Amino acid sequence: MYVSPIREPLIKGNKDYSQVTRDIMAPMAGKPSKYWYMGMALAGAAALMGAWASYETVFNGIGTWGLNKTIGWAWDITNFVWWVGIGHAGTFISAILLLFRQKWRTSINRSAEAMTLIAIACAGFFPLIHMGRLLLGFFIFPYPNTRDLWVNFNSPLLWDVFAITTYFLVSLVFWYVGLIPDIGTVRDKAKNKIRKAIYGFLSFGWTGSARHWSRHETISLVLAGLAAPLVLSVHTIVSFDFATSVIPGWHTTIFPPYFVSGAIFSGFAMVLTLLIVARKALNLEDYITINHIESMNKIIILTGSIVGIAYLTEFFIAWYSGVEYEQYAFFNRAFGPYAWAYWIMMTCNVITPQLFWFKKIRTSLIATFIISIFVNIGMWFERFVIVVTSLHRDYLPSSWSMYKPTLVEVGLYIGTLGLFFTLFLLFIRVFPVIAIAEVKSVLKSSGEHQKHAHHE
Amino acid sequence: MDNNTFILSKKVINISLIMIAIGLISLAYGYFGGLGAGRIAANILMNTFYFLGIALIGLFFVAVHAIAESGWQVSVQRIGEAMSRFIPVGGILLLALFSLGGLSSLYEWTHTEHLDAILLKKVGYLNVPFFMIRFFIYFAGWIILAWLIRKTSLKLDVDGDKFYFNRLRTVSAIFIVFYAVTSVTSSFDWLMSIDAHWFSTLYGWYVFSSMLASGTAVIIILLYVLKRMGYMTHVNAEHVHDLGKYLFGFSIFWAYLWFSQYMLIWYANIPEETVYFYTRLKYFNTIFFLNLVLNLAVPLLVLMTRNSKRMFAVLLPVSAVVFIGHWIDMYQIVMPGVVGKEAGIGLLEIGLTVGYAGLFILVFFHSLSKAPLVPKNHPYFKESIEYHTNY
Amino acid sequence: MSKFISAYYHDEEDLIKGVRQIRNQGIEPADVRTPFPVHGLDKAMGMKRSRLTRVAFAGGAIGGLIGFFFQAWVFTVAYPINFGGKPFFAVPSFMPVTFEMTVLFAAFSMVIAFFIHNKLGPGAKTIIYDEQVTDDRFQILIEADDLDEPEQQRIEKALKEAGAQGIQLTS
Repeated sequence: MYVSPIREPLIKGNKDYSQVTRDIMAPMAGKPSKYWYMGMALAGAAALMGAWASYETVFNGIGTWGLNKTIGWAWDITNFVWWVGIGHAGTFISAILLLFRQKWRTSINRSAEAMTLIAIACAGFFPLIHMGRLLLGFFIFPYPNTRDLWVNFNSPLLWDVFAITTYFLVSLVFWYVGLIPDIGTVRDKAKNKIRKAIYGFLSFGWTGSARHWSRHETISLVLAGLAAPLVLSVHTIVSFDFATSVIPGWHTTIFPPYFVSGAIFSGFAMVLTLLIVARKALNLEDYITINHIESMNKIIILTGSIVGIAYLTEFFIAWYSGVEYEQYAFFNRAFGPYAWAYWIMMTCNVITPQLFWFKKIRTSLIATFIISIFVNIGMWFERFVIVVTSLHRDYLPSSWSMYKPTLVEVGLYIGTLGLFFTLFLLFIRVFPVIAIAEVKSVLKSSGEHQKHAHHE
Repeated sequence: MDNNTFILSKKVINISLIMIAIGLISLAYGYFGGLGAGRIAANILMNTFYFLGIALIGLFFVAVHAIAESGWQVSVQRIGEAMSRFIPVGGILLLALFSLGGLSSLYEWTHTEHLDAILLKKVGYLNVPFFMIRFFIYFAGWIILAWLIRKTSLKLDVDGDKFYFNRLRTVSAIFIVFYAVTSVTSSFDWLMSIDAHWFSTLYGWYVFSSMLASGTAVIIILLYVLKRMGYMTHVNAEHVHDLGKYLFGFSIFWAYLWFSQYMLIWYANIPEETVYFYTRLKYFNTIFFLNLVLNLAVPLLVLMTRNSKRMFAVLLPVSAVVFIGHWIDMYQIVMPGVVGKEAGIGLLEIGLTVGYAGLFILVFFHSLSKAPLVPKNHPYFKESIEYHTNY
Repeated sequence: MSKFISAYYHDEEDLIKGVRQIRNQGIEPADVRTPFPVHGLDKAMGMKRSRLTRVAFAGGAIGGLIGFFFQAWVFTVAYPINFGGKPFFAVPSFMPVTFEMTVLFAAFSMVIAFFIHNKLGPGAKTIIYDEQVTDDRFQILIEADDLDEPEQQRIEKALKEAGAQGIQLTS
């Protein structure tokens, strides 16, 4: 396929196929580095804190949280939505960018999707723990039972159960189907018998047959076609949790697309945070180049600006509607007791990403890293602002209240961060972080050396 | 490709002039037949907005592909550019409508002498001077940016200078940002304020998604017409396939926003909000459901397979259905608020739409004849021609 | 266990040319194995488009119908209960779960069909003839069980002419 010479190469350096295999598999070989152990120790400690907080929650009850009768939903749902949002980038990259034939996705889709799966696991933890009685968590599924009850299909919380479960399962399958050929490569490169047997089992007997490849491509494409609306549906349904209610600041029709856009925004920020470190630590700078970072930054500007427009629209319509409760909800957000959270959100989500309009900033690793952290923070506060400021002062001033998290709640959040990084560090050691076969398939058209040879 | 210059034939001019004449006759019929100022104004607003939206999507198509650095669309880029030439025409028609008394027949909030308590709160935004200021800002921005994009694109075609390539991206980015804001506020101004008490934050994006689907349908139809005339021979099944995928995807996207808006209002069941759908379900029942059938069910079911997106034999009828479907969507947006339950689709509605289509075609083909049909010197031109994918 | 004549290439474009060339001589490769999906190879091998998409469609349709009618049954027959004044048969409320079920069933039915069709799965017994195939080699395998000596030589000669390397018998 012809590629215009003015396009930048996607893969740097003079690579052949074998070199690609070796480069990408290098982080899996040998003993892990000192930094890996340090990261593991830190993440493990954080996960331990989460274990303590879970223990407190389960054995002493939800009373250990800072909730009260006005604010019955705060920290847990904020974290749930934040993690689900982060889980949107992976499938967006591998499904929607596949449909749009963005070849640069091949270097980042594998790790982004692993991140998606881990983030959804972290997200799922919050609804489960907030039930208080973890062992009865299966009550949320519709199954014939002796209580003669069915679940409430009118409830957006139940839609969430279906959406998150489906999203996790389909993403898992999508990720694993893409991983199978690469596991085959790992199997064939394995030196010792046990390693060969394990990867042999996991590779599902992959041979690289052209017939299999052809069908593999077909199902990848159809899975992408299915996953693309699925990504949109998941955060849409999460937004329904709020928007179907009649709470001022929650009930607004723009929520579905605005939440989806915010989710992709925060997901890309997290992918950038991780990959800027990973590409350096794993020596993958030739594969995840500045061009990749720049492309992701462009998506950050796009989604960040959509989120910004949604903020403004909400604010404007709150005034335009003439409904005083709506008007107060938004006034209270910007100038009430939680104004600090609101302005952190505005600064991090609307203002800082706009710096990416400057090419210098969006091609700078340090600037990108800092801004990506800002976006992560901003998007956490966005959910906090939506959840808490709308609840703490609604229709009845007599029941107005304030919310403050307890150490247990903070511990739960830190725990999921620990879980996230632990699993990600394990993933780096166990599977190839870049889709080897996919990179090879674009090497001819977009590799640096090959490209030049082609045009001379 | 010897036929790289489009020649505006007598036949095309005559057909479009006949269509315009039909439009004028139906307008005269509406005026002298006593159909009422409201219905006439509503028809003009609806058709102008509909075709203006299609023109804006033509420009959006060019701009968005320029900043996404995609290659395949280069061979059909001129279609989008030529469509955008209708923007100033739409502006003049809207200005004529608003200055010739359309405002008072369309918008309740212009009757400042008897505003109710809710509308009084909105006077800061809904007042005629500010409304007209916004009108001029929108059109000034759109027309200037459309002109800049077109000019840069033509300069780029001279020798494929990288400078103009980058300039095209910059201008396109500015347009996208400007359009992102103005597409929302313009539909608030011209359409949502018809039902002045009602509000919905999603409204702007909903209208945009409708225009996106109809604009894509029009691109496909115009591409077919050009191919039938013997032009655009280099456009192959792959390009058609991509446009087909757009039509499929945008139709689903429109339905997604339709559902989001409808479901949330239905679910929360707040009277201030449900009033909008109440009138539409009560007096416009057929139109309401027809809207979903034409704009979701037909493209979803027919365009699901790969082959149907690649063959004009299937894609063209679907595009026509979507084109009519979104006209109906526009109808159910405008009519219930202005005309109410007396509204109907008669000679005025159909004839005037034919007239607008004639005007649009005339502007489009005239613009197309002014520049080479394909930007051969575009850096991505070769990519666009040697274009084949596995999916 | 069957025997194969095996040969390989280092470059996918040479592979496609080679496959075309030997097929023109009436030699049908039993399998071609590559490290990544090679565009244009399916055409060169005369493969048809996969029909797995139909499985996905059928699975999706079944999932969607189950999802919708199950909810409708629960709310109108099995357990009708008033939630916030909504009608029992609340179609907009049923849409999200219906959609998710459609996607879930479509994806899983297709992926399962893919594995069954390819005879792949956890612990599947397949034979890898050349471990370099998942790295940088493009291998052609031609069945050699019932070949007599001259026929085998003809194939090996054809492969050599088609630029293949490492031509040998494997089993």
